[in-house]
Amino acid sequence: MNKIKTEFLGAKVSSPLVLPAGVMGMSFSGLNYCVENGIGVVTSKSLTLVERSGHNGPVIAEFEGGFINAMGLCNPGIVEGLAEINEFKQHSDTPVIVSVFATNTEDFIELTNYVNKSQGDFIELNLSCPNVFDEFGIPLAASKDKVAEIVRAVKEISTIPVIAKLSPNVYNISEIALVAEAAGADALCMINTVGPGMLIDKKMVKPILSNRTGGLSGPCIKPIALRLIHEVYSKVNIPIIGTGGVTNGDDAIEMIMAGSTLIGVGTAVYYRGIEVFDKINQEMIKFMDEENYASINDLPKLEKLK
Amino acid sequence: MDERYTLPIAKITKETEDINTYTFKHNLGAKPGQFIMLTDFEGGEKPFSISVCSETEFSVTIKRIGDFTTRLFKKNVGDLMSFRGAYGSSFFIHKKRVLLVGGGYAVPTFYFLAKTLIENGSEITLINGSRTKSEHVFADKFATLNIRTINTTDDGSFGEKGTSVDIADRLLEEEKFDFVYASGPEMMMKALQPVISDNKYEFLFERYMKCAIGICGNCTMDPLGIRLCVEGPVLPKEKVEQLSEFGKYHRKPSGSRVNF
Repeated sequence: MNKIKTEFLGAKVSSPLVLPAGVMGMSFSGLNYCVENGIGVVTSKSLTLVERSGHNGPVIAEFEGGFINAMGLCNPGIVEGLAEINEFKQHSDTPVIVSVFATNTEDFIELTNYVNKSQGDFIELNLSCPNVFDEFGIPLAASKDKVAEIVRAVKEISTIPVIAKLSPNVYNISEIALVAEAAGADALCMINTVGPGMLIDKKMVKPILSNRTGGLSGPCIKPIALRLIHEVYSKVNIPIIGTGGVTNGDDAIEMIMAGSTLIGVGTAVYYRGIEVFDKINQEMIKFMDEENYASINDLPKLEKLK
Repeated sequence: MDERYTLPIAKITKETEDINTYTFKHNLGAKPGQFIMLTDFEGGEKPFSISVCSETEFSVTIKRIGDFTTRLFKKNVGDLMSFRGAYGSSFFIHKKRVLLVGGGYAVPTFYFLAKTLIENGSEITLINGSRTKSEHVFADKFATLNIRTINTTDDGSFGEKGTSVDIADRLLEEEKFDFVYASGPEMMMKALQPVISDNKYEFLFERYMKCAIGICGNCTMDPLGIRLCVEGPVLPKEKVEQLSEFGKYHRKPSGSRVNF
């Protein structure tokens, strides 16, 4: 397993695999269950200042290429959410990314003040949830000015490294990424779910999701993630957590070659069980053995775009 | 592929004032203890244990509790509902002498279990308990199975007087069982646990579920982190004994903890 050990913003990680926000991150025990199954870094649910119940069900629907989901940012609120993280840290030295969501700079600052007092290792700014349009309007990640303002304000007071989570649902993701980097982001996480999309029940003539629309995840978004990560990797000098449709070791290797330092694995928990993290770790090692790479850090990256 | 089916309600059976059984003509291929996610696309999708299951139809027996079930109780035969599943773990089918301890609206899932146990030659004793006669369910249906059944109510208005746990305690002093199954309110199962500590057992749990396919983490149980929708809802003794939240708290849709 030494082959897949790496570092991320000064933290040692046992595997480059990251549990992304929104997957199994509701409780300290859910995070720990993923660690027992081989994950290297975990991310909390996106925490908001006030508790949210999220959308009514159905919140998730499957199609051939993956899922659409609209959980609606359900979370117990920043105070209880951080208590779960602190409880997790009592039993584990696995790095934790605390994901936070707000709609304005002031609330992001308040959230950061809470996170500063927690045992979280990194703070991730969810600027890109696609499923709360009705409540909050278009994602913040679509506005260069907003991204710059929020990242700068958080970076100024955060005692831990700051990660900006970007939306794929913009036409200029590289420009947004550059703005986030210039504002002080220590790393980027990309991509959030794609779309959003919609599925219909033909007999009842209703959208399947109660939110009507939901972001796409799963194998169908991998090519989009690879392209966008490579475009952003070509422009920025900060590490990228690449996420989107990774289901097996080959997908993870591709993510690294596109420019990722760490790799998110979420929806694949459904396809291959909670053991998916160990399986992908082993598959990456098998590839490295076959191709004579001594370490995950030796894997080559695609040539940068000019 | 996670198949979704949208079908008309084939039959509605009124069990009590607040409990109905809904039947759909569909070969679900479920095992006892498993559940479906049911929705009407009007806001809300909920897990329900399967109470009856054959190659031609299946039923879920539902108590009117919240907004979703209140709306469901206004629906008629022929109205369309949509479901996915069956999901989750199922009861271990023990072929010897078994005791089924049930309470309230969680008892009907034992009908599906009992039918399966009978097919496997098990010797069954069922304790069917509820608070009072008007809340007692499935007594007639269980009577058709010709199994040893002890009906009980807390107030003695139907069957014996006492809780299901009282009856189980008494039976276990006099007799031996190879396996115990429990399905009922969590505090009933919590009270039962010390009574059956020398036995092998499985409990059927209930937690708030959203995705039901093991991704969202809303139904993880502390401190193991196991997902009740995948590793549960039926959990064996070894797991139950490790649960710190058992009988203490559960999580709301937000993930916030609430005490029982």
